[in-house]
Amino acid sequence: MPVFRIFLLVGLLLLQLPALAEPEIKIPDPSRVVVIVNRDSNDIAFLDMDRNELVGRVYLGKNVNPHMAMMSRDGRWVVTGGTRANKAYIIDVATLTLVKEIPVDFAPEHLAFSPDGRYYYQGNPDGDSVSVIDMATFTEIRRIRGFAEPLNITFTPDGTKAYVANYGAHWVGVVDVRRHELVKKIHVGEVPAIARLDPDRYLGEIRGISNATITPDGRYLYAADGDLGLVAVIDTREDRVVRRIRVGADPWRAYMKPDGRYAVVVNNGDETVSFIDTRRNEVVATFEAGPDMIGVDFAAGKAYVISSSSSFLYVFDMTRLKPVGRIKIGDNLQLETATTDVAGHRIYLAVSTNHSIYVVDALTDTVTRIPHVGLYPWGTSVLDSKNNYCH
Amino acid sequence: MWYRVMKPGLGALALWILGCSTAVQAGEALDARLKSLEQRIEELERSTVLSEPQTAVRRIEVYVDENGIEHAEPVPGARRVVTYQRERVYRRQTINEQIEAAIADADSRRVQLGVDAAIVLQSVSQRGGAPAAADGSVYQLASTDLYFTAPLARYTFFFADVVGLSGTPQGSGDDGELAQTNGYGARIVEQNNLSLREAWIRSELWRQRIALVLGRVDLTNYFDANAAANDETSQFLSDALVNNPALGLSENGAGMALTLDTKSAWVLRAGYQQSTRAAGNLSDSLYRLVEVDYRANPFRRGEGNYRFWYRWDNASGTLLNAYGLSFDQKVRPGITLFWRYGSAKAGEGDDRHASAGVQFDNGRGFFPEDAWGLGAAESRFADGGRERLAEAYYNLRIAEKLRLSFHLARLETRASGQAARIFWVPGTRLQASF
Repeated sequence: MPVFRIFLLVGLLLLQLPALAEPEIKIPDPSRVVVIVNRDSNDIAFLDMDRNELVGRVYLGKNVNPHMAMMSRDGRWVVTGGTRANKAYIIDVATLTLVKEIPVDFAPEHLAFSPDGRYYYQGNPDGDSVSVIDMATFTEIRRIRGFAEPLNITFTPDGTKAYVANYGAHWVGVVDVRRHELVKKIHVGEVPAIARLDPDRYLGEIRGISNATITPDGRYLYAADGDLGLVAVIDTREDRVVRRIRVGADPWRAYMKPDGRYAVVVNNGDETVSFIDTRRNEVVATFEAGPDMIGVDFAAGKAYVISSSSSFLYVFDMTRLKPVGRIKIGDNLQLETATTDVAGHRIYLAVSTNHSIYVVDALTDTVTRIPHVGLYPWGTSVLDSKNNYCH
Repeated sequence: MWYRVMKPGLGALALWILGCSTAVQAGEALDARLKSLEQRIEELERSTVLSEPQTAVRRIEVYVDENGIEHAEPVPGARRVVTYQRERVYRRQTINEQIEAAIADADSRRVQLGVDAAIVLQSVSQRGGAPAAADGSVYQLASTDLYFTAPLARYTFFFADVVGLSGTPQGSGDDGELAQTNGYGARIVEQNNLSLREAWIRSELWRQRIALVLGRVDLTNYFDANAAANDETSQFLSDALVNNPALGLSENGAGMALTLDTKSAWVLRAGYQQSTRAAGNLSDSLYRLVEVDYRANPFRRGEGNYRFWYRWDNASGTLLNAYGLSFDQKVRPGITLFWRYGSAKAGEGDDRHASAGVQFDNGRGFFPEDAWGLGAAESRFADGGRERLAEAYYNLRIAEKLRLSFHLARLETRASGQAARIFWVPGTRLQASF
């Protein structure tokens, strides 16, 4: 009975296929890796935190230029936006495979996961939109429009709302996460009437809000506005500004100390750093720092301010609120952003010009270089770190 | 037997099913490809994209062995060598981005020019004491500074400041005490002529912990830099509040300033300068200054800076010393207190100076970037004379490069054994910088 034999043979072959195709697990514990975005080699690399060695990388394609990468809260996926490919990418962390490319809007950069991990919001600054990616189906289920250069997205801890910072405007957008709709625009401050006499400054280029930083309890947001030189404190229950705090010139954004006690604002217009006491909502110290500050990481009771073009980390004691010195990373380097491990002891700093990650031990302020992580590392992130952010 | 009959039919059926499946898959693949191509066309239509790779030159470290062979990693017998190499990266940029980057790069290599211009208009009204010629007079002084900066090497740049002044400030003849009510007046060397105020090279050494300035300097720019009372272009006009008179430096000259700043709480400064052009050499007019600064944040209410300085000056033929203390302390956001004290040897005794006041800024004016201040100063001279000065100002920021300020000063002077003379000096200052 040749037909029966043929079917039997085919059946046996089909049963073997899953075993033959089963992928190798490359990352058994996603909480022990640092995710590295390599902008020019167009890949996402993974660094083992215990051995300080690369364990793998996922190539995204030519001319993708990924910007920011984050791991989903369950540690299963890494997502990133390809700024020049106008796509979102989903990577399987365990097997380090690219599982999906999702067309989004123009120049995707920063992103955020909803607290339940069901969605991630991809900001598309050049498209003035936010793409809603469903993590169950890996599809863009909605594209929310109406923003002005949306840079960063912040979810409330209960996941009902998301706040979108607009660098091209002076308002923070409120998104209803259940309906994925922009429902409100919170006006953060007035441009002074005397601005009419200064068209070069106010019409030439707009420096609005790059991020609305949330307190750990989700009660307040701190939104720094570059042109207005202030930080607006927004009550998330009422979605209104309850206080405006003047800081230095051209503040980039506020970085929240993990316990929520202080917000540190970097002011690139006058190269100072302002420390806001969140209980009194006022500036309690302003110190000189360096040029082109793009990040602050909190570790071992200190704040490390990244001055991109000077190659320095400026260090401040967060107990006494005083400067304690600075760490020179190297010569002719451009520092990018950094993250910390969950314990808050080590900082993983991306340095683009020499293709390295620098590990700063915050307990001893010693620095170790890990070279050849990829071309032009742009940022890092760690699962559950309290210091995940991007430029 | 039925199998022999059905076999051709089954085969045809299998082939047909396979063909349909293949056709469906091909159709789906074609759809996906079309969608991808449409997306790319849309992107190209929206922005012109340059696809060729970018090149950049990088400074790298390599290891050269005894045979002259280069290695990327250390090998036995190889020495570390720094070299430069071109890298090629696949980073897309739009044409606009490339143009902007090229312009910024060209700008960073050029000599930069800046201008700071101010017009000060003041009047004098006497309210007591022996009549002064200045009573009822109006004075105007125009000052323009041209700044040049140019990068020379890593952490090193050149700076020059050429100033021109025109006008007649108060304080000539017997009314010399009025000169201190206009800090710009101290700059006059010759009217309507350009003079070189400063020209120096600045470099940062020892992992940028030490800043060294060498050339023609104004040492008072680096010492006793009080945050609330140090700048006659944006704060008080009166010299007694802008500087500590005990510093006693009236001219710029060849010199050096060195600053050790580890960006922690302490800063150390030292410097020297030729203090008068009348001397034939530096040794005969050597002005030396040292200072210790401490940054504090008392009770975490706001930052403060506390200073002590000491100076020696042999320009008069004998070594004259002076010392000074000052602080500026923020007490609330936008409210800064300041205080100064100085004592300088003068003949058989000491001249003593003190000043104090408060500055309001950071949103505590009519407009967010306005600032205003109140200050008072007193000097007691070794010869028994005394001067008291009080000033209030309001600085209105009209535009990013233009400010207008209003000033009112009260000056009381008393020479030893004589009655006090009292003057009110209202004024305005229009200042542009770009």
